[in-house]
Amino acid sequence: MKKLLCCFVLCLSQFALADKTLNLFNWNDYIAEETVARFEAQCGCKVVQDYFSATEEMMAKLLAGGGDYDVVIPTQNAVEALIKQGFLLPLDKTKLSNIGNTAAGYMNKAYDPGNVYSLPYAFTTTLVGYNENKIAELGIDPADWSIIFDPAVLAKIKGKVTVMDDAEELFGAALKYLGYSINDNNEKHLKEAQAVILKAKPYWAAFNSSSYIKELTVGNIWVAHGYSSDMFQARADAAEAGRDFSINFVLPKQGAVLALDNMVIPKKARDPELAHMFINFMMDPQNAAELTTIVGTGNPNAAATPFIDEDILKITAIFPTPELQAKLETVSARNAKERRLANKLWTEIKVR
Amino acid sequence: MRYRLPGASTPATWFHKPVQTLINRAERLRNNLMALPPGLYLLLFFAAPSLMMLFASFRYPGEYGGLAPWYYVEDEQFSLDFTLENWLRLFESSIYLGLLFKSLGYALLTTLICTLMAYPLALMIARSNKRFRDLLLLLVILPFWSNFLVRIYAWMIIFSPQGALTIGLNHVTAALGIEPISLMFSSTAVITCLVYVHLPFMILPLYANLEKHDSRLLDAAQDLGANRFQCFWLITWPQSLPGIYAGAILVFIPSLGIFAIPDLLGGTNGIMIGNVIKQQFVESRDWPFGSVLSLVLTGITLLLVLLAAKLGRTAGTDNGK
Repeated sequence: MKKLLCCFVLCLSQFALADKTLNLFNWNDYIAEETVARFEAQCGCKVVQDYFSATEEMMAKLLAGGGDYDVVIPTQNAVEALIKQGFLLPLDKTKLSNIGNTAAGYMNKAYDPGNVYSLPYAFTTTLVGYNENKIAELGIDPADWSIIFDPAVLAKIKGKVTVMDDAEELFGAALKYLGYSINDNNEKHLKEAQAVILKAKPYWAAFNSSSYIKELTVGNIWVAHGYSSDMFQARADAAEAGRDFSINFVLPKQGAVLALDNMVIPKKARDPELAHMFINFMMDPQNAAELTTIVGTGNPNAAATPFIDEDILKITAIFPTPELQAKLETVSARNAKERRLANKLWTEIKVR
Repeated sequence: MRYRLPGASTPATWFHKPVQTLINRAERLRNNLMALPPGLYLLLFFAAPSLMMLFASFRYPGEYGGLAPWYYVEDEQFSLDFTLENWLRLFESSIYLGLLFKSLGYALLTTLICTLMAYPLALMIARSNKRFRDLLLLLVILPFWSNFLVRIYAWMIIFSPQGALTIGLNHVTAALGIEPISLMFSSTAVITCLVYVHLPFMILPLYANLEKHDSRLLDAAQDLGANRFQCFWLITWPQSLPGIYAGAILVFIPSLGIFAIPDLLGGTNGIMIGNVIKQQFVESRDWPFGSVLSLVLTGITLLLVLLAAKLGRTAGTDNGK
């Protein structure tokens, strides 16, 4: 009852204080509550967050004209598409004093030369999170895509595996498992990947991009295909809840998808001034560090490193070693025809 | 309702006829005006969108979603850009039609289970003491006070492998020497939730129907020597058919198109046609093919509703009324 009352009061206060609002469209579980609270205190505004769990979902919503957000956090391939669509506002660098904190290696990339429209926010890899006790017990190697694709391995963990409900990510993983590039658009290779996925599908519990953190933490599933930052949280949650098992995550040795997420301002933004303030705030070393220490993302902010625990810097799935880095690939934007083929194959997977 | 002047049916005096014509005209006008809002509603929110989708279903998807232009002007040559590709894709392999039949099966099963569960309950409420009826009806609609998704998430907890229900069931299966079962991410979970969510939509129209039955008919039947089963089967059941058809439409249509429940509970095999339509419009950004699937679903739904409405009308006129 008390909780209900609190909710009610909070709802009311949202209307009462909403003189200045930052509408943020972000990945789910991709910013720490502490960070949001600090920004709200600093700007004297309210942050309203909407979430997405897949790039295609975000694109569909933005391009259908939905939501005039002030800041969106798209992945690099989506930035490219949004720029080509003329959807973004060029950033006013004079308002971004913290811009020098970002490591040079993450700036001036092919998807946005000169960072006219976007600035790096955080990066994640797509990998495998697993229940350490169960996987060790069954003697399965988690650092190999066979854990979600090989029927011989899957037979031991049938119904305890979820994969992402995301064509790009799942095809990316399957193409890597087959030894191809994740950006391979060869119809034959894509069909091979489809065959791999279809063979493994009967062993999976579900396509799930939004609640695998919970499912892993509770122990309902033992293996989940998902983002490194989510697995970081699942591991922390399981430890905090005092479960009799632990969660861990690892980059498969065949390589994986690297996603560099960026901050952009849509042309339709209601408050570009506040949006610039938020971007600058997120590039502050301490705030950027929280993305890693609390959310568990990789960090493009060079100045943030001193604020990050030694233990986290050592996790290769978050900060990959140079050898691993060489095997990571970012997804490029597909053209309409390529997208159509991939989507057709994906729809067939879902329906079969 | 027809207004008649007193004596209008008797041989007319000289002024009766024109006045009656005027009244008839006014009545017709009123009826037409009354039909205007629902007609406009249908036109704006059903006919127009359906026509737009029909148009879209012959076009190509745009580069980044949406639709490609339907005409090109090149060297002052005007050319149209339409295609049958989207419709042909429907028949390219049997998977889409197969899924459609599967979804029809799910919706039909849901309707059937809802009817079986709702009938005794509605009958009980209709025949209960007048004082309790409102309270009982309130209890039926009580679940609507919490959000639909919240209720589905509650079922996810009930079905979860760590939940008491699954653990309890698996103790039983273990004792019987059967493999442990999983409730979450299955078609059983999907149908259970479909029934749970739509049950009130069957109970309410059925109650509205059963409540109006003339209890004297039952008394008369009893006096004439009918036993309790005959009373039900010959008196109550035929009279309640319009209620069942109304409830069936209210349950069948939403459960046929639903995507949230299969998305959350269906796992890899429990998806329905609604999920694939949503996928085309959202993740795949393929509006033309999404339109094709939507139109097929709308067409089938319309046919079934017409059928149910016809059955309901015949049942309504044949029996009791």
